[in-house]
Amino acid sequence: MKITRRRFIEGSIVAGIATAIGLEGRRRRLDTLEEGVETSVEVKPLVKGEWKPTGCLGCTSWCAQEAYIVDGRAIKIRGNKNSKVNRGYTCPRSHLSLQQIYDPDRIKQPMKRTNFKKGISEDPGFVPISWDEAMDMLADKIMELRKNDETHKFMLFRGRYTNARDLVYSSVPKIIGSPNNISHSSICAEAEKFGPYYTQGYWNYRDYDVENTKYMICWGADPLCSNRQVSHYLNAFGEMLRDGVKIVTIDPKYSNTAAKSHVWMPVKPGEDGALAMAMAHVILAEGLWSREFAGDFKDGKNHFVAGKTVDQDTFEENHTYGVIKWWNLELKDRTPEWAEAVCGVDAATIRKVAVEFAKAAPYALVFMGGGSNMQVRGGYNSMAVHALNGLVGSIDHQGGAITGRSPKLNSIPDPDDYMDEMAQKNSKMKKMDHRGTKEFPALKDGKSGGGVVTNRVADGILMEDPYLPKVVIGYFNNFNYSCPQTDRWNKAMSKIEFFAHCVTNYSEMSHFADLLLPSTHHMMEQMSSVAQKGNTYTHLWVSNRVINPVYDVKNPETEVVWLLAEKLAEKGFKNMMEYLKDNFKDPETGKEPTNGIELELYTYKILTEPVWNPAKYEEKGNNGDKFKDWNDFMEKGGLWNSDPYKYKNLWSNMPTETQKFEFYSETLKKALEGHAEKHNTTVDDILATCKYTAEGEHAFIPHYEEPYMEGDKEQFPLAFIEGKSRLAREGRSGNCSWFQEFKDSDPGDIKWGDAIKINPEDAAKLGLKDGDTVKIISPVGEGIATLKTWVGLRPGTVAKTYGQGHWAYGHIAAEDFENKIARGSNNNDVMPADYERLSGSTAFYGSFRVRIEKA
Amino acid sequence: MAKFGMIIDLEKCAGCTACSIACKNENNVPDEFYWSHYITETKGEFPNVTYQYISTLCNHCTNAPCVEACPVDPKAMYKAENGMTLHNAERCIGCRACENACPYGVIYYNERGKEVFEEWRSGEAKALTEKVGGEVIPYYNPDRALTYDGIRRENVVEKCNFCDHRVANDEEPYCVDVCPANARIFGDLDDPNSEISKVLKEKQHFVLQPKAGTEPNVFYINKFDEKE
Repeated sequence: MKITRRRFIEGSIVAGIATAIGLEGRRRRLDTLEEGVETSVEVKPLVKGEWKPTGCLGCTSWCAQEAYIVDGRAIKIRGNKNSKVNRGYTCPRSHLSLQQIYDPDRIKQPMKRTNFKKGISEDPGFVPISWDEAMDMLADKIMELRKNDETHKFMLFRGRYTNARDLVYSSVPKIIGSPNNISHSSICAEAEKFGPYYTQGYWNYRDYDVENTKYMICWGADPLCSNRQVSHYLNAFGEMLRDGVKIVTIDPKYSNTAAKSHVWMPVKPGEDGALAMAMAHVILAEGLWSREFAGDFKDGKNHFVAGKTVDQDTFEENHTYGVIKWWNLELKDRTPEWAEAVCGVDAATIRKVAVEFAKAAPYALVFMGGGSNMQVRGGYNSMAVHALNGLVGSIDHQGGAITGRSPKLNSIPDPDDYMDEMAQKNSKMKKMDHRGTKEFPALKDGKSGGGVVTNRVADGILMEDPYLPKVVIGYFNNFNYSCPQTDRWNKAMSKIEFFAHCVTNYSEMSHFADLLLPSTHHMMEQMSSVAQKGNTYTHLWVSNRVINPVYDVKNPETEVVWLLAEKLAEKGFKNMMEYLKDNFKDPETGKEPTNGIELELYTYKILTEPVWNPAKYEEKGNNGDKFKDWNDFMEKGGLWNSDPYKYKNLWSNMPTETQKFEFYSETLKKALEGHAEKHNTTVDDILATCKYTAEGEHAFIPHYEEPYMEGDKEQFPLAFIEGKSRLAREGRSGNCSWFQEFKDSDPGDIKWGDAIKINPEDAAKLGLKDGDTVKIISPVGEGIATLKTWVGLRPGTVAKTYGQGHWAYGHIAAEDFENKIARGSNNNDVMPADYERLSGSTAFYGSFRVRIEKA
Repeated sequence: MAKFGMIIDLEKCAGCTACSIACKNENNVPDEFYWSHYITETKGEFPNVTYQYISTLCNHCTNAPCVEACPVDPKAMYKAENGMTLHNAERCIGCRACENACPYGVIYYNERGKEVFEEWRSGEAKALTEKVGGEVIPYYNPDRALTYDGIRRENVVEKCNFCDHRVANDEEPYCVDVCPANARIFGDLDDPNSEISKVLKEKQHFVLQPKAGTEPNVFYINKFDEKE
């Protein structure tokens, strides 16, 4: 415990303070080296605190973490070393959670609106009230719906969530009697899950076995910056580069990951399909597909010749289905030369990367992110990009594209028995998001209307189609900020008679609320739990409350439900409370919950019981870490790790129609035909309705579609590229000064500001220079940003990260919080609301053009 | 006595800035001060582009111009026996000579007449800290005060101290600890068996502004962005 203190040398030259301030002082040299050297003195030990396990929901990496607690304060964050997923590493934005929790701009107690006129320029006139009064108001509104037999006009919006979500998200609307539980999922990723589902039956994010791979293509994914498993990849990339793994990034902008890759392929926005087709073409034409996975020609020769069809009967497939159909219908003409003209990446590079990738396979993978497919016509890109893994046999293979080994947990208890006649009837009404209508198939899990169309709800409200909801609860969400074409949400939420917002900060959506119900922060102030995969493992973490809530805040997933149930019971509607008391007993003691905190604890205990209770473990088919009981589990940090991944388990055992990996998707055929039949029409008509151009058999194979972009090229010459921000915590960290201090950690961006990046050539043509304040004008809106010339972009494009442009949220996030002046602008103000309709996904990429003018 | 230094492996570094954020966290560093920071540069012409990211901090130079420039006696900016360049805020007269002398721009000055963390000293922010504890800021790290002012006063400079309070307690500097890429090696340059000495012996390395003659003790190996 030593540190230095000056060893004062007697007789050293003493410089007067007067000289010190002047230049003389600055020029003064040491007379001896020793003069400035000091010796050690004792340093006291570091302050004693405790590292308490928690977990982070700042993005969907969902890392297991620990928080350092000193005298009841959380002062540091680190990765939990016991997790086999993030392995003790944690990304930069996790540290920002401290500033989220200790944010003086948080909502400190419930508030009610006093100005009942709603609108962007109305002052809501919020005044503080008690939780009792707040819940009384909310319960009254729900009772009114029940009295008038219009419980379907209740709606629940969910944003980010924990494992306990289904209590508030699913059971509460059902017991009240509403079909409207609307999640955020389709502004998150659904098109990215579409491809893996309609090729291998997996509607989920994939894991990628980077530890064992030799070749990685990051496609529209920026894993060093944003989802997935950022903490893990921040570490793994260095190891991969050291070990000689080749890394290629396909992205229209020079991303964080592009900077750490050997090759950057700057595909034109929305043209990912062309590039994928050409790579598939090369892999087949060069004879480099996986014989083990995809099979071979019966004569052992390669008959894939550009421009020529192949006789179906000459090829025998193993674990795949439809490779010949894919070639004949689509790939045979999709040469790299064709693609070069379309996607802007030169043919030689396409060929080289495709060949190298296939030669490294099966220890090779295409890591797909949303960039390649959350586009209006991106569903087939999602299939195509993922299918490259299928061609080379890296699907479910060591070093390839794998899935996960989720823990088998209990579900939230079924509320059916507590749904009275009204609830049964009204919960069968149509949902507000138009899922399953002709133009919104949202084919999650193969089912018409199986998925959510989050951003469509604003239109549903504005058109009052199918009706106008009256009482809405939103939690952990901010759709007025996070959904494209935000002005629709501002108008839509103005139409809602009563909106209760469970939220930490006064957000853009809160501005339209009647009640603000301040929320706990998920990492420290409430119990929390999620499971996530990465690094070939899956982990599950359950965290305790590690600090006392900073303000008078409550957990929206459990405590608020309890308070609501109590109030409804007081007013004569007892079903919700009965449901809670009957079904949420402590699984160890059988004790009924008597308050929201107990409900929180018992809910997590119930959900995770198959992991911590040995008697339930085998029965549920769990694998991985075992525990003696709940206490043992929580004493070990509330962290479960799966066993290592089992490769090749899915080969010819896929939950697709054919059980094979489908290049010709019988699974999609069934889903599309089902949807067409429901609407008495043809698949061709459905595709045309969904803005696709394909006809006939092309509907069932990955194929090229010209991107659909809003804004004609004359008026709006620049394609807009959205990027994610390293520190954004899903749009919720703008009020952290560390977010602003390090905003330039996103290549090309600026501190405390919002940059629109443009190739210097385009800037020169427009007569614009660095630092100019410019208007970004799209077909649906305008925004302000600071111009930044940047060579990491193709001429004809502009790029801007998502995360600034808050006019609410707090004094740091907004330029002027009191006067609702945003810091920069929100990309969603200028982004048109459009969709990849087959998945219901919102289109964030390759979907519109803008023009830039000096402001 | 040890002579401490650091290596930053730019191949491992992913440019995430966890080091710089964590540094603010550990050392209670106010906004617009960057004990730990970075230099970034996007170069070339589309599509042949590279992005370089070099993490920066005090170089703890062997020939530290900041120490030479410090006019106070005894010196406010001084070299410790273990090679660290440290600052004694009590002695500091706020003349900024060190700041002017440093060729790396890693020394920051707390303006005279302006309270540090001013935004935390009134209203709801102040009330929050009073409620939860801490000092000035609610996530205040008391460790920093073991060897330095926990939060520095106005009219003094401040800079990276290699987390001398942690090192004295056998912990690594916090930037080393938090780096998810394990890109930093901290250790004793005088010990031939330390990892840092071995890596420096084995690998080509460079320092910033070698011509300044400062003999920095922060070394860099490899390259951040290496295209084919």
